Amino acid sequence: MTTKVASSSTAYDAHQERSRQEQWRADKWMMVGVFFIGTAVLGLIGLPFFLYGLSLQIRAAKEGLSVRPVLVTLIGYLVAVDAALNSLGWALDLIGNHTLLARVFLMSWGNMFDGGYFWHYNELAIGGATAPGEKAWVIALLPLMFSMRIAAAIGFLQMKRWGHQWLVVTCWFGVIAWTGYVANMTIFFDVRYAGVVFPVVGWWLYDIFYITPYLAIPYLHTVNREIFSD
Amino acid sequence: MNKLTMSRQDRRRWRAMVVFQLVAYGYLLGMFLLQLYMLSNRDW
Repeated sequence: MTTKVASSSTAYDAHQERSRQEQWRADKWMMVGVFFIGTAVLGLIGLPFFLYGLSLQIRAAKEGLSVRPVLVTLIGYLVAVDAALNSLGWALDLIGNHTLLARVFLMSWGNMFDGGYFWHYNELAIGGATAPGEKAWVIALLPLMFSMRIAAAIGFLQMKRWGHQWLVVTCWFGVIAWTGYVANMTIFFDVRYAGVVFPVVGWWLYDIFYITPYLAIPYLHTVNREIFSD
Repeated sequence: MNKLTMSRQDRRRWRAMVVFQLVAYGYLLGMFLLQLYMLSNRDW
């Protein structure tokens, strides 16, 4: 009896260890992928790395190893990428607004889709975007929401209880942010869309991918919370 | 999720999520359509 318990416990430990190793192997590829995707400009380079890591994780699950559910992986990395892209763009606008990168990258974006990043750009005392209300969103969301969301995504990917809880909090924060931001885009419509190359439809096509992470809310509220541990 | 196996609490939560999504995405769609309407009115 003792021998049997001991051997099954050893098999369990070996299974757990192998699962952990395979998850980490897949995560390394996916982390490299989202690092590149999160820079925006080098995004396409990151995609094959991410997809390869994802395929490793799916293969490990098919072999019967205890790896993370695919939906948790997709939501976690999606939120991390979303937060990284917004942090990079808005840190450039808030702090690095006179750099060559900001003047090329952000003003080109402004010229194509959103006049808030083109109209009188860098002409106010604080620098960067000049559209009414825009800078207030940058100041509120960059150091608070997006920083929290990156931390929450990491905790969520580690299947921690706090990661799940903070992802719920920050996803609801996202609802507030996008409700306000879209209202701002509509109220100051003439500043945001006059003279841009792809008004309205262009902005929505581009931004819908940033808005949709709150699609995760129904999943986060209905998932079995016991799969997340302390 | 199979609705027959849901508890009352689960069912309420599920319904609340459906309502939330209708409101949240309805608002976004409304703003998008309003912006399209405004675009059709402007002669900048």
